[in-house]
Amino acid sequence: MTAVRRFQHRPGATVWRALGYAALILGGLFPLLWMILTSFKSEDELSRFPVQYLPSHWSLHNYRLVFSEQPFATFFLNSLLVSVVSTALCVGIAALAAYALARLNLRRRGLYTTLIVTFSMFPVISLMVPLFRIMRGVNLLNTYPALILPYTALSLPIAILVLVAFFSGIPRDLEAAAMVDGCSRVGALRRIILPLSAPGVVTAALLVFVNSWNEFLLALSLTTRPAMRTVSVGVTLYQGEFSFPWPLISAAIVIGLVPIVLLIVVFQKRFVAGLAAGGVKA
Amino acid sequence: MTDRTVSSAPARRPRRELSEGQLAAVLLAPALLVLGAVLLYPMLSTLYTSLLTQKLTEPWLGTPFSGLKNYVQLVHDARFWTALQHTLVFGVLTVSGSFLVGVPMALIAHWEGRLRPYARVAMLLPWAMPPTFTALTFQWMFNGQYGVVNDLLVRLGGEARSWLTQPVWAATALILTIIWKTSSFVALMVLGGLQGVPRELTEAAEVDGAGSWVSFWRVTVPLLAPTLAVAFIFRAISALQVFDIPYAFSGGGPAGATETLGIYIYRTSIEFLDFGYGAALAVALFAVSLGITAVYVRYVRGDQ
Repeated sequence: MTAVRRFQHRPGATVWRALGYAALILGGLFPLLWMILTSFKSEDELSRFPVQYLPSHWSLHNYRLVFSEQPFATFFLNSLLVSVVSTALCVGIAALAAYALARLNLRRRGLYTTLIVTFSMFPVISLMVPLFRIMRGVNLLNTYPALILPYTALSLPIAILVLVAFFSGIPRDLEAAAMVDGCSRVGALRRIILPLSAPGVVTAALLVFVNSWNEFLLALSLTTRPAMRTVSVGVTLYQGEFSFPWPLISAAIVIGLVPIVLLIVVFQKRFVAGLAAGGVKA
Repeated sequence: MTDRTVSSAPARRPRRELSEGQLAAVLLAPALLVLGAVLLYPMLSTLYTSLLTQKLTEPWLGTPFSGLKNYVQLVHDARFWTALQHTLVFGVLTVSGSFLVGVPMALIAHWEGRLRPYARVAMLLPWAMPPTFTALTFQWMFNGQYGVVNDLLVRLGGEARSWLTQPVWAATALILTIIWKTSSFVALMVLGGLQGVPRELTEAAEVDGAGSWVSFWRVTVPLLAPTLAVAFIFRAISALQVFDIPYAFSGGGPAGATETLGIYIYRTSIEFLDFGYGAALAVALFAVSLGITAVYVRYVRGDQ
C-alpha cells in the first residue's frame, strides 16, 4: 500500500498522469468529436482551408437530411433487430455448449475446443460467395435470417470461449447442492450457473452485439434492397460517384454510433473486467 | 420446461435421465449445427469451387473441374503477389504499431484516478466502432484539400499532403487509420492482463527497492507475456484478413497501392465474377490464417 501511495505522490507524477489521460482521451475521442462537429457544418463551411473548427451556427439540418436522402431510420431498425436477435440466439446456443464443455464429462473435449477456435479464425471473405449461394438457394436473400444466421455463427466461437471461462470459475459444490435438492442439470445451468456468471453473459452479449452491429461484408453482399440495409452499409450509400457529402455522412455516423457509445458508457467497467476474466479474443 | 416439472413436483415419477455424455451431445448439437451449416459447409464449398473453372462472365464455359489450374494461375499472378506483399507489409506495420500505441494506452487506463472511466470509454470506442465508420471518418480527416490532418500539419509548421491520391501517402494514411482502430483491441487485452497481475507482487518489488520502472519490466511484463502473445496472434490473423477498412477507406487505390488480399478476393469474386479463381485466393488466405491458428491452438493447449 505504502509503495503505491509513494508512487502516486511523487512530484511530477501528477503532471505525467494528466498528460497520459489527456493523450488517451483526446486520441480515442477526437475522430468522433470531429464527426460531431462536421455533422453541424454546412457544405460551404467545409470547403475552407485553414479549417474552420466550429460550425458558425448549430443546426440539425444535416440530421434531417440523413433521414430524407436515404431510409436511414430503416437501416437503423434493421441493424437493431438483426443485432439483438443474433445476440440472443448466439448467447443462448453458446451457453448450452459452454456448459457441456465446462461442466460435463465429455470425451474429446480438447478436440471440440480446437474446432471452435479454428472456426473463429475463418476469414469471412472466403465464406461470402458460398453464403450468397446458400441464401439464394433457400430463398433467404434480402431477409433478416440471411444476416442473423451468419452473425450468430460468426460470434458463436468467441461467445462459447468467454462463457466456458466463466462457467469453469463457479464452484461445483453449488451445482451439486442444487441437484441434490432436485434440480436437473439444465435447471442447474439456468438457476445457478447463468445467474452467477452474469458478468460473463454480459461480456459475451456485448461482443456479439458489437460484432453484428459492425459487420459490413456480409451485410453488403447478402442484402441488396435498400429496405434491408444495415447502418454499417448505409453510411456508405450517401457518397455519389464523385461527391462526398461529408456533413451528411458525419451525421449518419454519429447516429449509427449511438447504441455502441451507450453500451460502452454503461458497461465499460463490467466489460473490461469480463474480458479480463474471460481472457479471450475481443 | 422439463426442470419446472422436476423441481415443483418431486413426487412425480422420475424421468429417465440422460447419461452425461448424451446430455453433452444434446447441448453441443445446436452450436455444432450452426457452425457446421454457416461456417464449415461454406468453407468446404469454397475449397471445392477453387478446383473448378467458374466464371460468370464466360457462362458458356460451364463449370468444369479444372484441378489445380486456379492455383497455378495464382502462382503466376503478379497482382496476387502484390496484394500479398501489401497485406504483409501493412500487417507488420499495423500490428507493431498497435502494440506500440496499445500497451501504453492500457497502462494509462489502468491507473486509478477520477478520469479512469473516461479513459476507458476513449479506449473502447475505437475498438467498438464499425470499421466502415472508422474508414470514412479518417478518409474525411485525411482529405487532401480540407482535411483536419493537413490543417494541423500546417499549423505545426509541416506541409499539407494530398494523402489519398499518392500511393505512398495513401498507404501511410491507411496504416495510421488501422493502427488507431486496432490499438484499442491490444489495449483492451493488455488491460485485462494487467488486472490479473496481483498488486502485492509489484508492491513487494517496490518495497524491495526496485523503482516502478524496474518493477514494471521485471514483474509486470513477464506476467503479461501470455496475454501479449495471444493479442499478437489475434492481431496477426485480423491483419491478414483485413478488408472493411481498406475497402471503405481507399477501395484498394490509388493505382492498387492499398489493395490487400481481402480486397483482391472481393474484386475477383464480386466484380470480375470469377468464382473459381476467387475461391482459390480465399483458400490461400485461409491456409495462412490456419497456420497462425495452429500456433495458437498449440499454445492454448500447452497452457492447460
